[in-house]
This record gives sequence, structure tokens and C-alpha cells, in this order.
Amino acid sequence: MNKVKKFFYSQKAAPYVFVLPFVLTVLLFWIFPIGNGVLLSFQDVLKDKWVGLKNYERLLSDKIFLKAVWNSVKYMIGTCALLIPFPLLFASLLNSKLMKKPGFFKSIYFLPALTSVVVAGTIFRLIFGEMDTALANRVIEFFGHSPIKWLKGQWTGYFALLLVACWRWTGVNILYFLAGLQSISTDLYEAASIDGASKWQQFKKISFPLVKPTTVYVLTISIYAGLSMFLESYMLWKGNNSPQNIGLTIVGYLYRQGIEKRAMGYACAVGLVLLIVVMIVNLIQLTVTGTFKKEER
Amino acid sequence: MKKKVLAALLSAAMIGTMLAGCGSKGGDDAKESSTKETGKREMEVEGDDVTTLTVWTFIENHQDFYTNMAEKWNEENPDKKVKLVLSNMAYDDMHNKLSLALESGEGAPDVVDIELGKFPAFMTGEVGLKDLSDVIAPYKENVVESRLDLYSKDGKYYGLPTHVGTTVAFYNTEALDAAGVDYTTIKTWDDFKAAGEKYKEATGKTFAAAETTAQWTLNLMLAQKGGDYMTEDGKLDVNNDKMVECLQYMKDMQAAGALDTIAGGQPDNEEAYPLFNSGDVAAAIMPFWQTSRYTSYMTDLKGKVAIAAPPVWGDNDAVKTIGGGGTGTAVVAGSENADLAAEVFAYIKLSETANEEVWNVLGFDPVNTALWTDTAITENPDNAFIQYFNTKPFDTLNELADGIGLLKCYTDEKMPSVNNTFCTVTLNDIFESDADVKTALDDAQDSLENEFAE
Amino acid sequence: MAMDKNEARRKKDRFATAGLLVLFTILAVLIILPIYAIFLASFKPGGHLLQYGLNLDLDFSVMNLDNYVLLFTGSHDYWTWFTNSIILTVITVVLTLLISAFVAYGFAAYEFKGRQVLFVIVLIILSIPLEVVMLPLYKQISSWGMMDNYGAIVLPFLAHASTIFFFRQYLLGLPKSLIEAGRIDGATEYGIFFKLIIPIMKPAFAAMAILNGMNAWNNYLWPLLVIRSSEKYTLTLGLNTLINPYGDNYSLLVVGSFFSIVPIFILFVCFQKYFIEGMTAGAVKE
Repeated sequence: MNKVKKFFYSQKAAPYVFVLPFVLTVLLFWIFPIGNGVLLSFQDVLKDKWVGLKNYERLLSDKIFLKAVWNSVKYMIGTCALLIPFPLLFASLLNSKLMKKPGFFKSIYFLPALTSVVVAGTIFRLIFGEMDTALANRVIEFFGHSPIKWLKGQWTGYFALLLVACWRWTGVNILYFLAGLQSISTDLYEAASIDGASKWQQFKKISFPLVKPTTVYVLTISIYAGLSMFLESYMLWKGNNSPQNIGLTIVGYLYRQGIEKRAMGYACAVGLVLLIVVMIVNLIQLTVTGTFKKEER
Repeated sequence: MKKKVLAALLSAAMIGTMLAGCGSKGGDDAKESSTKETGKREMEVEGDDVTTLTVWTFIENHQDFYTNMAEKWNEENPDKKVKLVLSNMAYDDMHNKLSLALESGEGAPDVVDIELGKFPAFMTGEVGLKDLSDVIAPYKENVVESRLDLYSKDGKYYGLPTHVGTTVAFYNTEALDAAGVDYTTIKTWDDFKAAGEKYKEATGKTFAAAETTAQWTLNLMLAQKGGDYMTEDGKLDVNNDKMVECLQYMKDMQAAGALDTIAGGQPDNEEAYPLFNSGDVAAAIMPFWQTSRYTSYMTDLKGKVAIAAPPVWGDNDAVKTIGGGGTGTAVVAGSENADLAAEVFAYIKLSETANEEVWNVLGFDPVNTALWTDTAITENPDNAFIQYFNTKPFDTLNELADGIGLLKCYTDEKMPSVNNTFCTVTLNDIFESDADVKTALDDAQDSLENEFAE
Repeated sequence: MAMDKNEARRKKDRFATAGLLVLFTILAVLIILPIYAIFLASFKPGGHLLQYGLNLDLDFSVMNLDNYVLLFTGSHDYWTWFTNSIILTVITVVLTLLISAFVAYGFAAYEFKGRQVLFVIVLIILSIPLEVVMLPLYKQISSWGMMDNYGAIVLPFLAHASTIFFFRQYLLGLPKSLIEAGRIDGATEYGIFFKLIIPIMKPAFAAMAILNGMNAWNNYLWPLLVIRSSEKYTLTLGLNTLINPYGDNYSLLVVGSFFSIVPIFILFVCFQKYFIEGMTAGAVKE
């Protein structure tokens, strides 16, 4: 017994004890369910029989599924395109010595992230109401446009989704970038300044390369969040059924098939496709940004 | 410093509110019914030997009704008293939760309201609901059989119907009079279309809804033509000629100005009620139960709404009207108290008292059609619904009583998916995006065939 | 001459400052606008909201305190949901931070066989959405009889990949000499973690407390699948039940939505300073 105890406390065993909770979590809650998901994806769960590749064949010819994939990818691209450059720019400006009271602004920008998606989605659903008195229609009326049915049009609906995302995440990403920027030594800027580098050159030559790890991190979680988006759309359209499926995402389709239609096997196939899409996109991203190589080393 | 003060203030506010919240919890009173209540409700029953039954609903009014009827049951059966604990949930959530609960065999209620459009989904595979044939038997002769058939499979009944849901026309007479439209002259769809055109021209406002999230009008038109969503042998057939004709007719009405798409997509929606209430939309083709939505959510229209027979194609229609929507109350088979629950709810929904209450409390057309001619009930001047409408509701019902049809496909297990496809894609394509009717229906047929691998 | 140049430069700087202030003030107004709109709406009847949508009209003839009266004295489940959410959030945050820090320390402080592989797994899991495993996990939880149990909501995510990743980054910046000193003092490997490491991780804890707190407070889909009984609903689940065509629910929805922002806002205001500090210290490094 004493031997076991001694081993437990030894410097050799300690790291394994430390990582044990993670290993258990991975086995129980990731590997095991993914394995199960793979098995289920070859079954018709309701009829309790094996169907081979049938679920996957159906996926390929399922136009609604392809639309859901396209919607998710489109959302992911849109959010990455908006939620990385702008927060980075704002963060550098906030980080500038010329800026007064950055703390106050930081808190305000963070506020939307504190509202849950359920609340934010409801707010924006009512802002984008069809009536001419709803806020979004008031705004375009001010610019001389007649009211729009925002949430019934493909692109106006997409706009609403992106707006919710920007509203909620701009502040968080600003904070990520600020953290990155603040870890850069001010000596570098001073040296550059003495050499006569303009602010823009400083940003390009110092800030941008040095916050790259942060950028990669934010990009990774943005891809993750973009491709797995569900709740924003669920709240904006008051459920999983948006007109002409303009708000349907991969996870929305997984929910529709697995929960609403009880086609568990088919839904697991959808889930695995999501897994593969996320892996591929991240693999590309990490290779392009060169992060992968460093971690391997 | 300032921040600390702010934080302190906010914390104090929060503690205060939480205390207030706790205080109010103690004061819960289940019997006190007001529209300000939401969600869960619990009956108060005295006595020792009381069985608690959990009930899920997705329409809040049903809670009042069940509570009233359970109190009557307790009076008549002091040895089998029940206490209902009712939870009201959003439509989609409730049905999803039920299907999850039945699958996992955990967390299901004892009794649950299942909407007609979702019912077939619970009839696939192993049925998790209790066969209610035995408890229905004593009441069976009083009940319109077709309403029981809606919730049956292989000759077993799994759901207790609430109403017939006779589809009728609701007209805002004040708005129509002002535009010089006389609703009593509307007999056919052509009349309806002409009236709509005239109304739109006179007021610029919407006459009736081109529904994008429901098929009340479409199903009525289809049934009158003798059409359906499936072939005789149950194959998907959503792009058949009759369907095309009906939708094309609706689209022509839309082009002529007689129909418009509305917020919420159909009259029975929280976004649509204010439109009707303010007179922005004048007419609705809806099942009879829309009465309760009028009295609850369109209170400004009291005394201004007439109920009439819905338009027809002509004299040779297959049926005059159709039963629309419906809630089958089911008992979960795995429930500990399934037998008692079945007995109590058969009483709550099918007894003669129940049928009276269905009209008195909910304003629905009861399934016991014998009541339809009992003037003590149908013309009771104290009844809120009789007071609300400026026609006698049961006159219209009796006019239609011999011609209330159904679509055969209602019980088909493919129907939930068909409804879903129509209400998300097809009807939006046609009425919002101006897609060609036949093309939109062909697309629907394709995508549904893909789903069911037909 | 030199004076002039300095003067010109200062002037330019002042212009820049003013420009920045204007830019960020506009941004701040835009960001506050929706919250202000729901704040206004919390004084209007639910029916009014449905009829006119959400806007910035200050129409005092329809505005009153009825919704607040309903919130504080009405008979509804809001406060049950509210309490559930607070309990669940606190439990989740405390346990997640502790366990994730425990694991992260293992990664940061030791060289051991399999570390590389395990860390790559952390990175992979970091980028896999939970939704991928949601349905099989649901079946699994169900077969273990853990439905309708808060444990099922919390347990699968205690060793949280992105939190582990963040803590590891943070701990990499700590001097190894601290650990050595602990060993020399005779502390056990775990004693070092609990007595020496945890205290200096405070800023990192603050940062992750807010991020994890946000996630737990906002969590919707997984609890929706796991929780059955309405008395266990969290605030997000509960609020969503109010979005229902029937009954006068929108009044409570609006005021309840506005009010749900309050506790997490307090949390943020209290920890804000540490939050920025912690985020900076744990900033992703090469």
C-alpha cells in the first residue's frame, strides 16, 4: 500500500495523475460517443437495422442538407471576414497611447457578450420585425427605403445573422487582441518610432506579426463557432424552421433530423460530416498559418 | 471607487430582487387564473389519497380547462382524486421533448397534448402511448368517429380529441362595411376573390392571409376538390393536379390583391393577432377554434366579427368544409398511473360535461355534435363567445354539420415531414418568392421522396 | 523652431485623440442601442411589442411598470430558472477552473512520455464542436440513467480543452525555479500545485471564470436535451418557453430578458480588472 502511495506521489507518476481527468473526459465523452456516432450512422435507429452506406448516399442527394452546409460555411466565412480585421484594428487603436479611457470602452464593448444568445436573438428578431415601426425598418426608412421583410429574404436574413454575431463578438475579440498587443514590449515601438516608422508601418511590421498567435487562436475558435452555429438562427427565426431554410445550419439540420424527426442514424451521419468539415478547414488554416509545424516540434 | 460603488449598488439590487422573487414564490396560487400567469400550474387538492398527474400542454388555455374538469372529477369520484401538475411549453419544444422522453423512457409526463400535425410521428416504430380504446368505449357513441380515427393506429385509439375544428370564415364586419363589402354575399371562392379585390382597392389593406406557415385555406380547398397529399395507396403525391389548381388559385388571388402574406405567416400566430386586432387584416379562413384566439388576443374586435360558412368551389364539392387542426390528448404507456390517467382524461375530454366545457371555457366546437343543437348551451347569453361574435356561432356549424370532411393523409406518418416541407419551403417559394406553383411542388415532391427513399 | 514642431505635433495628437474618441463613442452607442431598446421595451406591454416591433420610441402613454410588477410579484417560474442558472453556472465555473488548471499544470510543468500526443489531442478537441458528439453522447447519458440531472450538463466538460490550453499558456510563463523551491521545501507534487500554483493563477482564473461563466450562463442546446422537468429549467430554457403564441408571455419575456443580463454584468464589473490582466498574461505565445 505504501508503495502505491509512494508511486502516486513520485515525480514520475504525478504528470499522469494531473492529466488523468482530461484523458478520462476524452475517452468517455469524445472518443466513445464519436465511435458510437460512426456505428449509428450506418443504422436506421428507429427500425433498428443496419443500412450500410444508405444514410451517406442520402446525404449527398439531400438538397436541404447541402443548403445547410452552404449556410454554415457562408456564415463562417462572413464572421471570420468581419470579426478578425475589425477587432484587431479597434484593439490597436484602443491600445494607442493617444486613446483616453480605453477601459471604459472595453467594458461597454464586452457588454453584448454577456447577453445570452437567447436574449440577443430575441432582441434582434424584434428589431428586424416586418412592421414599418420596427427599428431596422425605421433605419432604412430614414435613408428613403421602404420597409423590408428582413427575416424572409436570403441576404437580409444573412445580414441579420452577421449583425448578431458582430454585435456579440466584436468586444470579446477586441479583448483577445488587446491581450496579445499588450504583451508586446513597448521598446519595439519606441525604437521603430525613432527610426521614423509611421504608425501604419509599425502596425504592419510589429503589431501584426507579433499578434499572429492570437490571430490564429481567434481564427480557430471563429471557424469552430461559425460552422457549429445554431442558436443564433434558432432564436432569430423562433425555431428551427426558417422560411426556405435560409437560417438552417448543419447543426440545425442535425437537430431537425435527430430530434425533431427522430432519424438518429441519419443525424449522426450529419454530425460526422460536420466533424470532417471542421477538421479539414482547421487543417488548411493551421497549415497555411504555419502553426501546425510549431506544435509538432 | 466609482466602480466599487456601482458594483455594490448592482449587487444590492440583485439581492433585493431575489428576495422579492422568493417572497412571490410563497404566494403562488394555482387556482387564481389570470392572463398574467405563465408556464407551470399546480392544482390544490385536499385529502390524503390523491394521485398526482403531470400534464404537458402547448396551449395555455387548455390548462384552465383541464383544471376545471379535474375539479369536477374529484367531486364525483372522491375515492380517486387526482391533482394535476400542468406545464405549458412552446409547440416545437414540447413535441421534441416528448419524443426524446419517450425514446429514453425517462422524464415523460403522465398525460400530454399532441398536435394533430405531429401525432403520426408518435405512431411510428414502437408506440410509447397507451391504447385508450377501453376508456373511450363508454363515450364512443357521442363522439364524431372521424375525430377519434385521427389519433388511431391499427384500430387502437391513442388520443382523445378536443374538438371538430370545423373550418369556417371569420369576417371583421366593421372593416368590410366601411369598404362596402358585404360578407353575406360571399358563397364561392370567386366571390371571396372578388370581395378581396374590392376591399384591397378601397382600403389598401390586406383582406386575408396567403398562408406560408400553415395550410388552413389550402387544405380546405383541396378537400373540397376531393384532393389529397398522397395517392390512394399512401404514396407521396404532393404535386398532383388538384394541389396545383388550389395553390394556383391562391396565387391568382394574391396577384389580384385578395390575399397577402402576413407577419407570422398565418392567422394563428402571436405576430398576426395584432394585425387582425387593429383591422389591418379583415378576414380569416380558420378552424372554429380560432374563436378562442379572438376572445383572448383580439379583444378590440368584440362585436365586430362574424362567423360564416367558408367559400366553396361550387355545388359539386366533395365536402363543404374540413376539420382542421386538433389536439389529441394521450397517456404515456410507461407512466406509473397510466390506467387512472386514462380514465380521468377520458372523462375530462369526452364526457357530456366535458363537451359543454369545451365550448364554455375554450370556445371550441365539441366532438359531441348532439350538443350543437342544444340551444340552452349554444345560445346561452352569458357565454363569452356568444357575446363576442355578432353572428350565432352554432348556426354556421349546423349549416355545415353534414359536410365536414377530412384529408385522409392526416394520419399518415409521412405527414409531419410534408407539413414541414410545405411550411418552410414550398409555400414561401410560392407566396414570398413568386416561384412557379408546379415547380415549387415538384421540388417538394423530390425532396420528400429523397427523405422517404421512395 | 523646435517648440513649434512640438506644438504642431501635440496639436496633431490632440486631433487624433479626438478622432479616436468620436470613433469609439459611435461604436459604443451602436453597441448599447439594442440593450437600450430592450430596456425601453421592458416598460411596454408585450402586446405592444408584437404589434410595433422593437424600436426606440419613447411613448409614455403606453409605458408603465406593469412588467416589473409581473416580474417581482407575478406567479411564474422566472426566479426558479434564475436561481437554477446561478447555481449551475457557479458549480460549472468552479469545477471547470479547478480541474482544467490541474490538467494544464501537468502539461506545463512536466516532461513525460505521451505529452506531445496528448497535447495535440487537446488542440484537436479545442476545434471540434460539441454538437458533433451531441446525439451519441445524449444516447449514452440516457443509457446511464443520467437524464434530467445537472451532472449530465456539467460532467462532460469539466476538463475543458480551451481552458486547459489557456492555463497551459499562462503557466508556461512561470519560472520553474518556483516549483523547484517547492520541492526543496518538501512539498509533494500535488501540494505544489494546490499551495503554490493556484494562488499565482488568480488573474488567469479571473479571465477564464468570465469566459466559462458566460458559456455556462448562456448554454442552451445541451441542457435542452438533458433537462426534462420544468423545475430544473435554466434561464435560457425558461425564457425560450415564453416564446409561444399563446398567453401573455412577451411581457415577462422582455423584462426577464433585460434582467438576465444583470448578474453576469455584475460578475464582469467585479472581475474586469483581473480579466484583462489574466487575458494578457495568458496571451497566446509562440
